[in-house]
Amino acid sequence: MVIPSDILTQALQPAAREWLDSLDASQDIAVLLPQLPRRTGRDPFGGTRHTSDDHDVDFAPWRSCDVAAAHLFEKLNPTGEQLRDLFAHGDFEERAMVMRTRAVFPADDTTCHLILEAQRTNTQDHMEALILDSDLVARAVDAGLPIDDFNRLILKTAFVDLPFGRMFGSERHASAELSTMVQDLATEREAAGRKVWYDTNRVIGLAPAPGTIARLLGGLEHGDDNHRLAAVEGIVSTGDTELRKYLEARLPREPKPSIRDAIESALQATT
Amino acid sequence: MIFEPHIHMFSRITDDYEAMAKHGIRACLEPAFWLGQSRTNVGSFIDYFDTIVGWERYRASQFGIHHFCTMGLNPREANDDRLNDDVMEILPRYCEKDSVLGVGEIGLDDQTPKEEKYMLAQIELAIRHDLPILIHTPHRDKKKGFERCIDICKDSGIAMERVLLDHGNEETIKITKELGCWSGFSIYPNTKMTPERMVVIVEEYGLERMIVNSAADWGISDPLQVPKTVAAMKQKGFTQEQCDELTWENPINFFAQSGRLDRTVLEEPAKFDRRETFTGNSILRGQDPDSF
Repeated sequence: MVIPSDILTQALQPAAREWLDSLDASQDIAVLLPQLPRRTGRDPFGGTRHTSDDHDVDFAPWRSCDVAAAHLFEKLNPTGEQLRDLFAHGDFEERAMVMRTRAVFPADDTTCHLILEAQRTNTQDHMEALILDSDLVARAVDAGLPIDDFNRLILKTAFVDLPFGRMFGSERHASAELSTMVQDLATEREAAGRKVWYDTNRVIGLAPAPGTIARLLGGLEHGDDNHRLAAVEGIVSTGDTELRKYLEARLPREPKPSIRDAIESALQATT
Repeated sequence: MIFEPHIHMFSRITDDYEAMAKHGIRACLEPAFWLGQSRTNVGSFIDYFDTIVGWERYRASQFGIHHFCTMGLNPREANDDRLNDDVMEILPRYCEKDSVLGVGEIGLDDQTPKEEKYMLAQIELAIRHDLPILIHTPHRDKKKGFERCIDICKDSGIAMERVLLDHGNEETIKITKELGCWSGFSIYPNTKMTPERMVVIVEEYGLERMIVNSAADWGISDPLQVPKTVAAMKQKGFTQEQCDELTWENPINFFAQSGRLDRTVLEEPAKFDRRETFTGNSILRGQDPDSF
């Protein structure tokens, strides 16, 4: 995917576009990148989700400078080593741009490196920029990111409370091993009286492990609306029609209209 | 509100940030400098530069203080051939970072030919990146050093209103006042200037293009010397408006010449969330973010 032309037009003022178009490979990308927020703007431009055969990217959180950075990378084609250097020695904004723009390029070794860096450095803005609002992480696994690294990333995502649903396509890499890790974190949090990741039940329902069904059924009776809704979705994801009766039992007692709607939809889907 | 325009927070502790915020310091500027002992390779500079645009900025923000910096090869290490040319090579990328408002501290220390060479090269760098310059003047043979710094600036062609000649005193103000440059004064507990001497200077020379700072670093120094100077000015009858001109308007007006200082951003304290980390690190050391 390259940056769609309508996005370029929407995000960049003509003067900014002209300046970008005047740049060439003789210029040092490390000197150019930090200028982008000042020259092109640092506010979201109102982008929307774009889906194609090979990419799924929601431009809603993208800022004008992110679009400019993607355009710059497309134009100057930095090596993986250069991209790693831009991240390593970039300021906060530069790092965010390096991370967010990966979504419109093919997943490769550099993507995998940056995913590990995001996980290691644990700066929420940079994690969000890299792993949310696109299918980049899912494509990275397809391209060779070891499944162990993926599992650890999801666990870190749970740890810092980011939404799994905004990691488009990641559900296809769910596994029983991941479910066990996420369940164990939830148990640990519950024992400590700490908040549990709201997506726990959604993720474990995708690939049940020992203990998953009990947790999902318990989730149906949870006092927190978010956990109950995720439990309904998790039960649907298991595809286990035996669990239908528990949804039926919960429906008349469910006080929240939106969750009742979810249960009714789930029952229709499993008919 | 106070803009502290010269302080090496890299070498200070969180108590200092807390005290600075309590005494009205809303923003500070950290000139790149030396570390107390010599660096031995360019990598040490790279990590330091990354720190003053990264971690230090985050650390300051945790106390509501906006942090900026200037980038440069300091005159003391300009004499070191193990790293001077390598540092010059990496400076262009750092000159473009968002929080970099100038080139500095550059200038003279021992007043050697090498210091002059790299001072001039960095003034040219500042011109290329459209940045003002902060000049460290020698602490020994100061008057001669000031005059030499001025000559180098004039020869370079940089506009004098984009030059801040720092570490001045009663003698140097006589030289710099009419040049069109900005005159900086570092207020120290026991050496350089005192708040009381600074008040006498502004009584005689006025407030225009005058800047005061603490230049606090890893030595015996005091990050509250600017608020203390304000207190001394008020004791002598200066108004709040006059104090603001010296300690807020002047440094902002000088560094705003970079085109990167948004005055409206400074009107509010730096935003922070003590739960957020910077590269996995925070200042909490395990403490509850809501407990203080």
